[in-house]
Amino acid sequence: MDLTFIVALVVVLALFFDFTNGFHDTANAMATPIATGAIKPKTAVALAAVLNLVGAFLSTEVAKTVSGGLIREGEGGIQITPLMIFAGLIGAIVWNIITWLLGLPSSSSHALFGGLIGAAIVGAGFQAVDYGVVVSKVLLPAILAPLIAGTVAYLATKLAYWITKRDESASSPKRGGFRYGQIFSSSLVALAHGTNDAQKTMGVITLVLIAGGFQAAGTGPEFWVILSCALAIAIGTYSGGWRIIRTMGSGLTEVKPAQGFAAESSTASAILASSHLGFALSTTQVASGSVIGSGLGRKGAKVRWDTAGRIGIGWLLTLPAAGGIGALAAFIAHLGMVGVVIDAVAGAVVIGLMYIRSKRNQIGHDNAISDVDQAGEIVRIKRKKKRKATAKKRAKQLAALSAGPLEPTASPEEAGRPDQVAGRKQAGLKQAGRKQATAAAARAAKIGTTSNQDGTDEGVER
Amino acid sequence: MNIDWLAFLIVAVATLVSALLVVGSYGLGVRLLAVASDAPESRRPAYRGLAYLSFAVAAVAVGYGIYLIVPAFH
Repeated sequence: MDLTFIVALVVVLALFFDFTNGFHDTANAMATPIATGAIKPKTAVALAAVLNLVGAFLSTEVAKTVSGGLIREGEGGIQITPLMIFAGLIGAIVWNIITWLLGLPSSSSHALFGGLIGAAIVGAGFQAVDYGVVVSKVLLPAILAPLIAGTVAYLATKLAYWITKRDESASSPKRGGFRYGQIFSSSLVALAHGTNDAQKTMGVITLVLIAGGFQAAGTGPEFWVILSCALAIAIGTYSGGWRIIRTMGSGLTEVKPAQGFAAESSTASAILASSHLGFALSTTQVASGSVIGSGLGRKGAKVRWDTAGRIGIGWLLTLPAAGGIGALAAFIAHLGMVGVVIDAVAGAVVIGLMYIRSKRNQIGHDNAISDVDQAGEIVRIKRKKKRKATAKKRAKQLAALSAGPLEPTASPEEAGRPDQVAGRKQAGLKQAGRKQATAAAARAAKIGTTSNQDGTDEGVER
Repeated sequence: MNIDWLAFLIVAVATLVSALLVVGSYGLGVRLLAVASDAPESRRPAYRGLAYLSFAVAAVAVGYGIYLIVPAFH
């Protein structure tokens, strides 16, 4: 079989993978500022594309992790073949598209590593993989980076609200300024995405070039590889943006400007620091960690454990599942030319399915804007007005109790339950109801059951 | 198995310091702008100036962070 042909095939597949990565992840960076109206959709998408392009050029540490550490190639190690990498990529792409069709949250980075590891094990046995590198540069960062980002986002959100907290009597909305800050913080997230995600593809292409004998082992990515990966992710980001714009308004988690700014700053810091040390992590997971952390940093936040569990399982499943598909693809590919053709056809069919599906423009609860947005739903934050209403009701009940004869009243529990439809309606009525809400707030404050510090920017965002 | 725990500590500390610095200084700027709009006419420019200074601190922090991680600058 022609080696050059396989290598070329892998390069094309890897670039396609890079494209889908950008396509999939635009929303992580740009959905919030578009939603809060800080930046025009067209501008946001173009900006994200350019910053991904720039980010891809900034550093190559992650690419080196993928090409030089994960799989023991060259002398003293296992001779990995371009065929294995081909099979690994097929595994990653197929798993990515399956999860996308099913609306399961997953990480394309983990799919990539899973596929490569599975294929390498089938192709060359268990000793082909450097498990130390897998644990220290892929698995541990996958757990720790979202935790770090989440904790920092929690603290940053607290800080943002604390630092802008002013007396009730002071005029002017205070946190509107964060909306403009979000233009910069989400730009940083886009840049960070380029530094981490574009490089995974560079690493794979470099790996196949080394395996095919076109490049010396232990060297970094060539310039044309960096350039083409940067372009692929930028074009993917740009085209992915249009899908987001079309689906805008289909249920974004409500993120306030101050909270969004804090979350994005934490995400960008965590990813940039990790990229610098060569950790190949999932930008989606880090961004999700930040969104959850910053949500918890706001008043009245609660965790929806069932949603959290579903997302967590999706994340855990990715690496082994993509590994399984990669292993299967490697097994088939080892049948010879026929196997490669079967793999390629299977890959093409799945990609075709994805294309048809994306044309349908069907947006449900599960495949709404982005995985990060889904993660945002883990944290439930009672609306200020709702909290006031609950407090008021409780106060009334107390008053009724002390006044004498008991009447069955609705429990405060019920009043506080968030019904999505009711929530939407309420958002619409917000403007009209503000005066009553303020009056209710005053009463509640007198009773002393709630404090009024985090809602002061309500009027700014609409 | 050789796990570089120090690297994780570096990521954690770097994330914490940079995010809090950026959010803190930008937040201070937002607050100072609001204070400026409430302040008496004579003190407004001073508050505005301080606010823009805070925004500048945030921008410099971001710029320095990017400078640190790009090998081409060293």
